[in-house]
Amino acid sequence: MTVILPLLFLLAAGSGTAVVLIRDPARQIFAIAVNGLVLAILFDALQAPDVALSELAVGSAAVPLLFLVALMAVRNQPPEEKS
Amino acid sequence: MSPRLRVALLALSGLALLPGAAAVIAGLPPFGATIAQYGERINAIAPDARHVANMVSAINFDLRGLDTLGEEFMLLAAITGTVVLLRGHRGEGNSGRAMRRAGRALIPRSEAVVLACRIAGPLTAVFGLYVVVHATVTPGGGFQGGVILASATLLIYLGEGYAGWRDAVRSHWLDALEGGGALLFALCGLGPMLMGAAFMQNVLPLGTFRDLFSGGLMLIENLGVALAVTGGFTQLFLEFMEETRATDEPEEPGEESA
Amino acid sequence: MSMLPYAVAAWLFGIGLYGIATSRNFIHLVGCLGICQSATYVLLLGLGYRWGSIAPIFYDHPPGTPAVDPVMQALVLTDIVVGATLTALLLVLTIQAYKRGGSLDPEILRPMRPGGQPDRGASRADDGERTAP
Repeated sequence: MTVILPLLFLLAAGSGTAVVLIRDPARQIFAIAVNGLVLAILFDALQAPDVALSELAVGSAAVPLLFLVALMAVRNQPPEEKS
Repeated sequence: MSPRLRVALLALSGLALLPGAAAVIAGLPPFGATIAQYGERINAIAPDARHVANMVSAINFDLRGLDTLGEEFMLLAAITGTVVLLRGHRGEGNSGRAMRRAGRALIPRSEAVVLACRIAGPLTAVFGLYVVVHATVTPGGGFQGGVILASATLLIYLGEGYAGWRDAVRSHWLDALEGGGALLFALCGLGPMLMGAAFMQNVLPLGTFRDLFSGGLMLIENLGVALAVTGGFTQLFLEFMEETRATDEPEEPGEESA
Repeated sequence: MSMLPYAVAAWLFGIGLYGIATSRNFIHLVGCLGICQSATYVLLLGLGYRWGSIAPIFYDHPPGTPAVDPVMQALVLTDIVVGATLTALLLVLTIQAYKRGGSLDPEILRPMRPGGQPDRGASRADDGERTAP
């Protein structure tokens, strides 16, 4: 445990950094999903199974899906030409 | 403000705040050494006082139930805002049926995907229900279970197509679920007051420790949260999906969807 | 090790702020905001952890076993779910800004101006409502 926890913390920092540095939103979505997964594992290792379950459902499934759909909506729709 | 100036400003403020942050971090208790007294006392008292095994649920639904009431209405407000913004552009009239974007390719769905979704969908829903009802016993509760239930409905979309999903998931029902869940939670707070107790006081029989029916009023509050989160998240998925399809031309109802 | 979780939380918050300040795409910006938010989760759960303790769920272990802090977990749990809906709200605002303004780039989009018209070049300096550049 004394080795796993620091590793997981560093992994969380790394995946969070990746989310910021990946500038293309389409690729960033995958980084967000991976970050959610890493955070879920970290929370489980921190003895917080409730939070891990929540983060797994929200952070690695629901939120990336919302990003994906938002990106699709933006790509599909040409902006309105108002005046 | 030019981007370079902005980054410089950020770096400057970061440098200015760094000593303060370092001082705060140095002042915090070392990681893993001790926990706050409040949590310690809850761990010691709550299993006997509330007959509940899961302390996180006990805090969410009973000891700090008022906070969760606030969270619940934040959820309601955020989802209402999202739906209003999306529907305000589109109008409410056409939200009852599946729209199809003209010119989008129809990709046939392989039978393996349909089969996998028909098997996995109900299983995911059952798991979500399990997580919801075991809130006071094992890890889980209305918040997690609600999200799992909402994502189970997405498997209908994957397996049966968009039109099938829209047939199964009705927008008005979701509104009712979401608002009804929040109402149920608020009533759980107001109900005890009718009996002369305090707001959100746990007046129901507490049940036996480690049993499915333990925690009294927490079970109903948990159900309210589960309803609101399920309805709210499904509503979010529904409105976002609809947004990718909305067109300005009058749409033909899609028989099959991509 | 004893300060690592707090340092990670500070790093995540800082890198998220950096991303927000330098982002050229609103969808990317919302993702960076999520990183700032996850810094608070790491900080709170790091504060609530104690070596050799069990999860605060007394099903397999009898009550009285040393457990980690349940208050932090309750805080983070509701925050994650409510935060996801707020992310959805921000994404919808992004979609609306794109529809009205025609761009996702905060440098091009000027939401403070009436209509939020894209400002390519300085041809529309006669508004009188231009905010300080």
